[in-house]
Amino acid sequence: MVENGWDTFEIGTILRPFEGPASDVANILPEDRSYTKSNSFSVSVADWRIEKPLFNKEHCIDCQFCWIYCPDMSIISRDKKMIGIDYDHCKGCGICVEVCPTTPKSLLMFPEQKDEEAALSEWPKKEKKEAKEN
Amino acid sequence: MFQAKTKNLKNFSTSAERFEGANLLCPGCAHSIIVREVLNATNDNLILAASTGCLEVCTAVYPHTSWDASWIHIGFENGSSAVAGAEAMYKALKNKGRLKQPDRTPKFVAFGGDGATYDIGFQWISGCFERGHDMMYVCLDNEVYANTGGQRSSSTPIGASATTTPAGRISYGEKQNKKDIMAIMAAHGAPYVAQVAPNKWKDMVAKIQKGFATEGPVFINAMSACTTEWKFAPEDTIAISDLATDSLVFPLYEIIDGTKLNITYRPKNVIPVRDYLGAQGRFKHLFTKQNEYLIDEWQARVDAKWEQLQRREEACL
Amino acid sequence: MAELFELHDIEVWDGNMAASHALRQAQVDVVAAYPITPSTPIVENYANFMANGYVDGEFVMAESEHGAMSCCIGASAAGGRVATATSSQGFALMLETLYSASGMRLPIVLNVVNRAIGAPLNVNGDHSDMYMGRDSGWIQIDCYNPQDAYDMNLVAFRVSEDHDIRLPAMVHQDGFMTSHTAQRVKTLADDVAYKFIGEFKPMNDMLDLDHPVTHGAQTEEDWHFEHKARQHHALMSAVLPKIQEAFDALKALTGRQYNIVESYNMDDADIAIVCMGTSVETAEEVSNELRAQGIKAGVVGIRIFRPFPLEQIADVLKGCKAIAALDRSSPNGTVGALFNELAGALFNTGTHAVLTNYIYGLGGRDLTKSSLHSIYRDLQANAEAGCPTTSLQQFTGLRGPKLSFF
Repeated sequence: MVENGWDTFEIGTILRPFEGPASDVANILPEDRSYTKSNSFSVSVADWRIEKPLFNKEHCIDCQFCWIYCPDMSIISRDKKMIGIDYDHCKGCGICVEVCPTTPKSLLMFPEQKDEEAALSEWPKKEKKEAKEN
Repeated sequence: MFQAKTKNLKNFSTSAERFEGANLLCPGCAHSIIVREVLNATNDNLILAASTGCLEVCTAVYPHTSWDASWIHIGFENGSSAVAGAEAMYKALKNKGRLKQPDRTPKFVAFGGDGATYDIGFQWISGCFERGHDMMYVCLDNEVYANTGGQRSSSTPIGASATTTPAGRISYGEKQNKKDIMAIMAAHGAPYVAQVAPNKWKDMVAKIQKGFATEGPVFINAMSACTTEWKFAPEDTIAISDLATDSLVFPLYEIIDGTKLNITYRPKNVIPVRDYLGAQGRFKHLFTKQNEYLIDEWQARVDAKWEQLQRREEACL
Repeated sequence: MAELFELHDIEVWDGNMAASHALRQAQVDVVAAYPITPSTPIVENYANFMANGYVDGEFVMAESEHGAMSCCIGASAAGGRVATATSSQGFALMLETLYSASGMRLPIVLNVVNRAIGAPLNVNGDHSDMYMGRDSGWIQIDCYNPQDAYDMNLVAFRVSEDHDIRLPAMVHQDGFMTSHTAQRVKTLADDVAYKFIGEFKPMNDMLDLDHPVTHGAQTEEDWHFEHKARQHHALMSAVLPKIQEAFDALKALTGRQYNIVESYNMDDADIAIVCMGTSVETAEEVSNELRAQGIKAGVVGIRIFRPFPLEQIADVLKGCKAIAALDRSSPNGTVGALFNELAGALFNTGTHAVLTNYIYGLGGRDLTKSSLHSIYRDLQANAEAGCPTTSLQQFTGLRGPKLSFF
């Protein structure tokens, strides 16, 4: 979209989500789509966050609770596996952490500036079976 | 083939979204979870409409749109008519052989908040349902005019503090009972009317698919827990929704052809209404000596409604 | 396929029937409507065509005028030809959505059979509803008789749907006086009328499933002004040339000539009445009577009310010494709208004409020839004096002593 005049955009406040034809959107993953700049996908709301969720693959059982309950399409699941978080669109609500059923959780909230490696090293450890038996 | 996609959550998670992020809805907003579940429930093309409200003002603020399917907004009261008009045009062009993609059958869906559904847009919805347009109307029921800052609607439940029915020294807040929109829509003789909650995703997606497979007008009342106006932390949206469905404050059921009622979710352990109310700031003032009787009345009302639903269900067997 | 409707070259139709046949011949894809006097017969006639196989589009009997126009907007955005009809209170109920239709640049044709707006409730013709729509961003075309109602509907579709325009259009006719008065109407064969209008060419159509579009986005202070400016620019600069083109084509096809501004006995006129609707033909008759007495009286009829043809009006009136603007709507607190438009058109043009305002015919009160004679007498006095000899605004045809203001 050109933003340099009153007559340089489409009439009727028309907005288009895609460049060119997009015939089977329901079967095309975001990475394979040609989004326009008008599509909110092209925008980031990362600056809304105070805290961010971090993902620890080690504990994840791919139950997809985080995927179904994420209000911001920010849990990236591919081939039935949770593979990461879309930090451009995550608003930091924390629902994914709350609904995560593993122990310890596979997602935890950290301050926005937190280093991922440091966070992973501090992650609560899984209780050992032996310890339980004792 | 498509049913297989929603057989379990792993399969469902292969859905490609048609609702986009960086919309302006609050962190933790249930509207978005509901919209995702509706859109992901089908692979067919969609023609969508929205009434003025949170969903609309947060997803199509020029120059951005969060909608990957054709979408229209006109005003507060007429999302239903907008989609009905589009559906009429689809029929006309189909009859006249002028559809650009005649091999595809799009689904027509209108979204509106409870203000747009229970109150200002009710006449339009009633008209669309009486005329029998082949469309789905989804009410995002957060029991308040959330977009404009929390004024009561006719969906606001008794005892809730809203900005136009605030709790105060001599008032316990909203005085009227929530309108029974399900009964009203079923009374239109609509082929399918269902109440859903996004936390019970499988129940919800099954109902949406049933709705899409139904010819004629389908009404879906979707509970949408509102972190901002119900006053709970954004991460608790699903937990609060669980409290609503498990306390039976928001029972999940469907009504077919205006008569046959099926309860679709029976909590294993029904929790007290008190727990649901206590988790939300909008009911905080009920937990005082002078107002506590209202909690008991709440429980009695929920019990009576559940009893009535079960009797209705039995009557259809 | 719809059945062919065999028409005589000349039919005896009232304005409503003329409009109904124009909609039928346009092969409208969706008509969504709600009945209201005096436009009801347009909807009933259309339903009859439907019931007998003469139209094959969709017909939605909405639950209100607001619902009707809301359906029209959804249907138009979906991508096809759309039309409806209303009057008065129904028009008022529709008003919110009229702004939506024009702002969303949707080419809907709305037949407005003009009627007063209550209270007090009144079913007869005045221009209150037409005036209520004047800031809504629609093209407004005015008809004086059933023939006009037929022809102007054909013109409205053709202009409104043009991709350079994409603005909705109202076709106005006077309630009862035109809508229920049967007159001779020269017709076009179905295929000729359809060809004149042309095939509907979709644009930004929601039903193009390969090109999803968002209609009706919100714009705030950062974008709203540009969109409104764009819309106004299209209305001001593109519409009149397209209408002229359509008028020229209609003349070539039928011999009937319409003009952006209709003028009668105006070539050397000293005094002129400017009015709309059925009043134009009555005023023409009176001007002929005055011409027979040697008085240079003329009549200007507004054909296109929006966009208001400021320059063309000023040009027609440039030689006049005294002008009366006749408004058939209660101005409620100021001069009549037409007076304002004419003042706006004439100011800065160097004219010294005296301009006065008459409010007449509210609630369907007849505009009599004697009223018109009296107005022309006032104008003659104004022309001779070079200044107003009466109050600026007068009510004519009103019971009791003369009511005037300013």
